[in-house]
Amino acid sequence: MTSAMTRTTLIEAVQQAGTAQELLAAAQALAAAAAPDMEAEAIGCLVELLGYNNPGAAVAAVDGLIAIGPAAVSPLLEGLDEHNYGARAWAVRALAGIGDVRGLELLESALGNDIGPSVRRAAARGLGQLRCEALPPGEQEGIRQRALAALERSLADGEWVVRYAVAVALEGLGVSLAGSPLHGRIRTALDQLADPTVEDTCVVCQRAQLALQRLTASAPTP
Amino acid sequence: MAPSDADASIPLTGAGEPISEAEALRRLRQSEDLSLQYYAAWWLGRMRSSHPEAVPLLCTALRQRQPEDPSIGVGTNAVARNAARALGKLGRPEAIPDLLAALEDEDDGLREAAARALGQLRAEEAVEPLCARLASGPQGAGAPRENSPKLREPCEALIEALGDIGSPRPAVVEVIVPFHDHERPIIRAAAARALLQLTGERRWGESLLELLLHPQLQVRRAALMDLGAVGWRPALEPIRGTLAENSLKLIALRGLVEQGQGEPGAEAVLAVMDELL
Repeated sequence: MTSAMTRTTLIEAVQQAGTAQELLAAAQALAAAAAPDMEAEAIGCLVELLGYNNPGAAVAAVDGLIAIGPAAVSPLLEGLDEHNYGARAWAVRALAGIGDVRGLELLESALGNDIGPSVRRAAARGLGQLRCEALPPGEQEGIRQRALAALERSLADGEWVVRYAVAVALEGLGVSLAGSPLHGRIRTALDQLADPTVEDTCVVCQRAQLALQRLTASAPTP
Repeated sequence: MAPSDADASIPLTGAGEPISEAEALRRLRQSEDLSLQYYAAWWLGRMRSSHPEAVPLLCTALRQRQPEDPSIGVGTNAVARNAARALGKLGRPEAIPDLLAALEDEDDGLREAAARALGQLRAEEAVEPLCARLASGPQGAGAPRENSPKLREPCEALIEALGDIGSPRPAVVEVIVPFHDHERPIIRAAAARALLQLTGERRWGESLLELLLHPQLQVRRAALMDLGAVGWRPALEPIRGTLAENSLKLIALRGLVEQGQGEPGAEAVLAVMDELL
């Protein structure tokens, strides 16, 4: 358990870091102290770290924000910087990892419209792992239907890595929708990515085939 | 390989609107507007055009020379360089003679583009001229030029081309080995990559793993691209752990799945890719 006092020291270390190496070490220390009850100031500091163009520090900050979970969602949504692609990609990745449904709209629009492939790929991944078990069944179905529709619209994304992420997300959605009538649509979408006459990137086909195999293996026997 | 190489032929600003194949061929055929030609050459490569006129027109463009002219937004021999890059992507061996001629040009930027294209085409005929350019070693071909960050020869491209062509003759290996001690880590990475491709010896792969720990991000990025190009699967965990953008790690891991074999298996590589999305 890290005390509030220690966290203040950790924030100061981030703010005072003079070199990339120092920033990395400070970010890692702060992220390691992250927990669901973390103070707003420390969460804000982690959100800021996403924009420093230091990949190691950003990786650590994303891990920290995911460990904080739902309490980090509002600061992340409010801290989005329209002009910093790198920071936005990290923020979408953090929101995808947290899996909070408040991020749904951002993930939908990022997957459909963002010009950065790394942002679209993180958004696709997030749409496959939204946590909505706590919601009433009717709302769950509605959210998963929206996520599926967004993924279907991106089956022909121009970047292979985004289509790869769509395959991974479809598998995730398929697992959470076992037994649902939406399952047929998920298989149709995966069939398209698994077909080498339609999908020209070998690794995407391989990943979609793996997803289909896993969904078949886990399907309830009729 | 420096990751920026992949973007070396991005279109000029303002010329990037979608065009048809017929329009690209028309633009390449004219020679009044060099920026249109430049874009057309890039377009034909990017779209992997299989039109029968594409290769002959690109070869004609490859023989074109022009001085730098900032007023029209094109640098020295920009059209020829882009034509060479496109010919590398189209995979047609008819282009080899013209690319071999470009490899002897006095413009080192053009030699670099031609070397890369010959590597992509796996042109056996290029092995001797490539070795000849490198034969003077790190102190000759690999020596820095005065008043320029460049080396006397575009060593990185020449060495990588030899690795891609994959002719593992002892004479080729002997030419490359001394560059593995070059003072610049990017050149050491290119040499390790080519030697790993040619010999399959583990020590060259391990040398790339060391470069994944290099303090400079640019060097770690280059080592990632090199490991991906070879598809060396023992690099899976070190690639996962290196400090670099996930985008580049994913490109490298795609190479491990598609080019690689053996252990760890493809499914283990895919699992790491899923994690990095």
